[in-house]
Amino acid sequence: MIRHYLKLTWNRRRSNLLIAVEILLSFVVTFIVVTLAAHGADNYRRPLGFEWRDAWNVIAYAQLGHPGEHGEEMPPEVLETARHVFAAIREFPEVESVGGTTCPPYGFSEWTSSSDIDGWHLRYGVNLATDGLASALGLQLTRGRWFDARDDGAAWVPVVVNERLAAEVARGGDPIGMSIPRKKEQDATEEPELRIVGVVGDFRQNGEFATPQNYLFRRHRLDDATRRPPENLIVRLRPGTTAAFEEELVKRLQAVAPDWSFEVTPLEQMRETRFRMVLGPLIGAAVIAGFLLLMVAMGLTGVLWQTVTQRTREIGLRRAKGATSGDIRKQVVGELLVLTLIAVAAGTALALQFPLLELTGPISGRVFAVGLLASAACICALTMACAWYPSLIATRVTPAEALHYE
Amino acid sequence: MLLHYLKTAWKVFLRRKFFTLISLFGISFTLVVLTVAVALLDHNFGPHPPEVHHDRTRAVLRATMLGEHNTSNSGAGYKLLDRYARNLPGVEIFSIASQPAAAQSFLGGQKITLQVRRTDAEFWRILAFDFLEGGPFDARDVAEARFVAVINRATRDRLFAGRPALGLTFEADGQRFRVVGVVGDVPTMRRMSSADAWVPLTTAKTDAYKNDLLGPFMGIALLERGASARQVNAELSARLKRAELPDPKNYDRLIARFETPLENLARSLFGARGEEEPHLERLWAAIAIAGLLFMLLPTVNLVNLNVSRMMERASEIGVRKAFGASSRTLVGQFVVENVALSLIGAVAGFVLTEAVLRAVTASGILPYARLGINFRVFFSGVAIAVFFGVLSGVYPAWRMSRMNPVQALKGASR
Repeated sequence: MIRHYLKLTWNRRRSNLLIAVEILLSFVVTFIVVTLAAHGADNYRRPLGFEWRDAWNVIAYAQLGHPGEHGEEMPPEVLETARHVFAAIREFPEVESVGGTTCPPYGFSEWTSSSDIDGWHLRYGVNLATDGLASALGLQLTRGRWFDARDDGAAWVPVVVNERLAAEVARGGDPIGMSIPRKKEQDATEEPELRIVGVVGDFRQNGEFATPQNYLFRRHRLDDATRRPPENLIVRLRPGTTAAFEEELVKRLQAVAPDWSFEVTPLEQMRETRFRMVLGPLIGAAVIAGFLLLMVAMGLTGVLWQTVTQRTREIGLRRAKGATSGDIRKQVVGELLVLTLIAVAAGTALALQFPLLELTGPISGRVFAVGLLASAACICALTMACAWYPSLIATRVTPAEALHYE
Repeated sequence: MLLHYLKTAWKVFLRRKFFTLISLFGISFTLVVLTVAVALLDHNFGPHPPEVHHDRTRAVLRATMLGEHNTSNSGAGYKLLDRYARNLPGVEIFSIASQPAAAQSFLGGQKITLQVRRTDAEFWRILAFDFLEGGPFDARDVAEARFVAVINRATRDRLFAGRPALGLTFEADGQRFRVVGVVGDVPTMRRMSSADAWVPLTTAKTDAYKNDLLGPFMGIALLERGASARQVNAELSARLKRAELPDPKNYDRLIARFETPLENLARSLFGARGEEEPHLERLWAAIAIAGLLFMLLPTVNLVNLNVSRMMERASEIGVRKAFGASSRTLVGQFVVENVALSLIGAVAGFVLTEAVLRAVTASGILPYARLGINFRVFFSGVAIAVFFGVLSGVYPAWRMSRMNPVQALKGASR
């Protein structure tokens, strides 16, 4: 049967080629959108690792040169002011805890470290964190502990990593007490030893739609004169605190540090901004793809309709020789199905070039396969729907009418 | 003859309304997507006020410090601009302005966040803002660090309920400013000019910014007529080579260039190091390829539709061929028919585009957006529509016109 349809398709190869190209292009469009959406959905259901509800990000900006740039230490009065700012926030009864960080969640700054160690490409996100950050962000420790006074005076820099990085570094062993590998030629003076004191489940800094990655928190002490004080203060509030507290907080901070600028943004608002940034283009692409598919569906219906009308004689002859209306419908649908399968096969071959050339980026093989299958099913359903009405028209052809047509 | 072709076309469109509808839908939808995309590009990068001297205006939007192992990318610092980018030959006016920074204040318990840009007085000479009230602050205001501000219309609405604001004061980030001017809103995407409030550079809370080579500033230059940006950049590079770097162990080079926002985008997308010319041609190629790829599916769809539409008219063609019409005449007729259809689609597309752009503007997704169909976008849209018409008309018409009259009269099936 299929062979017969193949032959029929081949006989009309010229007009069929263009239709196959159209189906192929629709498949590619569907595939791209479906895969991106599946990638987002796949990330969304993974644990986030922190709690954004009832938390504010206070940007505390002191206008000073970067210490690294000038090669000089922070003036002691700046560190003093930073300590006062932290203390002032903690004093409020509305505040549960406060922690300082360099890259706040849903923010737009990122810090990545990567090194090649004997062919091992180790890459992880880095963040600086004060002792209070774990409770302010609601980080869940799975092993070990967060930084505290016990780390004071240690010869190494204590770090907390996520499970993913712990697994890569410890390779099944116990990560606590291990240090993050470095390049051999890097001596200790250039880059201090980073020793793991604890592991968190995860911390996906860029939020729900971010691809999971290795992550590492370095301890940041407020009296560290080689760095500027943390600019982002995460403040965890008692549930039920209203936005009116914001004014009170900012007024107090401005009194404590008149030279500094303060900006308060609830994490919830930063999350919304991030969602808009991720979902906006995706929704835009989906709407465009939807309209493209609608256009293709209407076009295909039109083309098939035309073909069926044109083939009245052929269909009439088959009816006269005893084909039922079901047979005729099967033929119309079957021919298009063959064409669709050819196009989808070509499209799949095209799409498979991405994983073969390792161009999929952060998209996992599973998501890729889901996207491929879902879009193939989608395109088959679409073309079958297009064949439905024209095949109905085809069955209305009576042999007498058809043979009379000439 | 043309009129006759158009009449035939009209009759054909009406006879097969479904086909006509599909074609029109395809054409107008494609045009909507393309025109909206172009309008967004134009909104971000096109020559719009206050950037009136768009062709002569360049800005240092980014600066880089490079070392063997380290790269530090950021905006330019005040010191870099003040010490090395001033008085370059070929530059008529030079201005230093900060990037907009959020400043919060509370008005009757309500939080108001303003994007504040700190500028010098030259800023107002390069960029021609449309003043609704008052005027810009001047060099003396800047020199004496007076707390004066120019605000935009939306800020006047928020702070003063839209009433005349001259001489009134408002608070931002703990500082109190007096309004000296009110300007129309500038879209937030305009990197050189946009803000909610513009205040003198010197009103910053401390002077620490004056020591930074990297920082949140930009230098805006109005080139002299006929001056080449390339030469200005060559001179700037030469000066930066002699610059004293604070941390020569880690960073040994300082890079900054005057460029347009579009060139800056090309640089960040196609990773040209700071000293090379930005790959503007690659950006244009990428935009063109994206556009062509997007148009491929609608075009194939349209060609398919046209092929089957023409099949139906085989007998008409047969008759015309039998009466001596040449292939050229027939091709001409179908091209006219398709161009007519494309133009109708174009008109429908522009009506829809206008609706979409209004919806985007009204939605507030792009703050202070002023999206509208301007003439450049309009004509490029029409050109695209006609291109569509000819492309999708030529192939089927050419195929039909090669048909044997006898076969055509019988109603060819293949």
